[in-house]
Amino acid sequence: MRRFSCLPLLLALAATSVAAQPLSPQGTDPSWVAPEKDAARKNPLASKPELAAGGQKVFSRTCANCHGDEAHRATTKAPDLASDAVQAQSDGAIFWKITNGNTRKAMPSWGSIPEPQRWQLVLYLRSLRDTK
Amino acid sequence: MRRFLTIFALMLTLAAAARAQEKPYFVTYDQTMEEKGNLEISSENTFGLQKQGLPTFYAPLGEFEYGWTGWWTSELYLEGASQHNDATVFTGYRIENRFKPLNGEHKINPILYFEYERISEASRINKEVVGHAELSNESLRDLHGEKAHELEGKLILSSNAKGWNISENFILEKNLTEDEGVEFGYALGVYRPLSLIASGTNCHFCRENFKAGMELYGGLGSTQQFGFEDTAHYLAPVLAWHAGENSTFKVSPGFGLTHNSSRMLIRFGYTYEIQGFGSKMKRMFGGK
Repeated sequence: MRRFSCLPLLLALAATSVAAQPLSPQGTDPSWVAPEKDAARKNPLASKPELAAGGQKVFSRTCANCHGDEAHRATTKAPDLASDAVQAQSDGAIFWKITNGNTRKAMPSWGSIPEPQRWQLVLYLRSLRDTK
Repeated sequence: MRRFLTIFALMLTLAAAARAQEKPYFVTYDQTMEEKGNLEISSENTFGLQKQGLPTFYAPLGEFEYGWTGWWTSELYLEGASQHNDATVFTGYRIENRFKPLNGEHKINPILYFEYERISEASRINKEVVGHAELSNESLRDLHGEKAHELEGKLILSSNAKGWNISENFILEKNLTEDEGVEFGYALGVYRPLSLIASGTNCHFCRENFKAGMELYGGLGSTQQFGFEDTAHYLAPVLAWHAGENSTFKVSPGFGLTHNSSRMLIRFGYTYEIQGFGSKMKRMFGGK
């Protein structure tokens, strides 16, 4: 029994030593680009702008932690989603980025959100252009 | 009995203070990783109704889950057990790490899971079911003295399609203090939100706030005797309710399918997420 007594301590030390390392810096990742086929996808809910309110609800539940409650303000963790750099991207490209995430830059993949709700998120993000 | 009720009341109090959103599974893991810098505190509780007049048990489990990066999540579990007309004991702890080797969303998303357990034979939580099983009427007080060091690995495969999540877990477990060989187990899960469209109103009982599904989990014997003989298996409907913007209740009545299974494992849980916990800690200790 004694020979395993130091195992928890070693595990804790390993975890602490890694935790002490600086986390990967935030910022844009030029290699994070949606494939052409995905970028060309159209938002199937584009003709239903009233569904953007549901997108805002999904946003506050899943995205506001990093992007901020307002979404149109850069935070220390994530970029301004109303910025020209984001809004210049196609609906399909934004949808692809929500779906796949980018774990290198701490953007989770949100494929677990049902597809219609991810398109609602895109609708909501598009509505930020008017509030900027 | 008074101890039993005290622990139960404590767990309910903790639950009432909690808030977060969660998948409905209790045993099966999907590809969801904790977000970087977030700490999730959960309380999961299992009531076991046994066969052959064996005593009912209650097993609380506290979980602390932290996201180090987008591809690495760690979790600490503290567990206890209480048995009717017997004892209430702390049964041990588990430390787990999950790694997401592939960036992005795929048709099948693999996750690698490694866990170290320091638990006693009195453990009743059934966090996973592996190896062989037998119904026991031994006292928790006696079993509490039998401590074990165990290593566990899981291959988690998970897919999202048309609003459904389908997850498969393949489990290996090695008890380092007993010569039991390597034990095997599995967990399968499927769930779907009741609505795929989010309504625009702040409603508590909207259909999209409910996720319903099913879990099937059990043991597959060991390297000494592989197969279904003398193993326990459970079929468990699962239901999660996102009661508020960040709070989720979940419940699952699991039905024993074999002679060696408990009659029922009734589980309920609640989760609280501290967002930006890592950066708050850094600031507290003088970091930027």
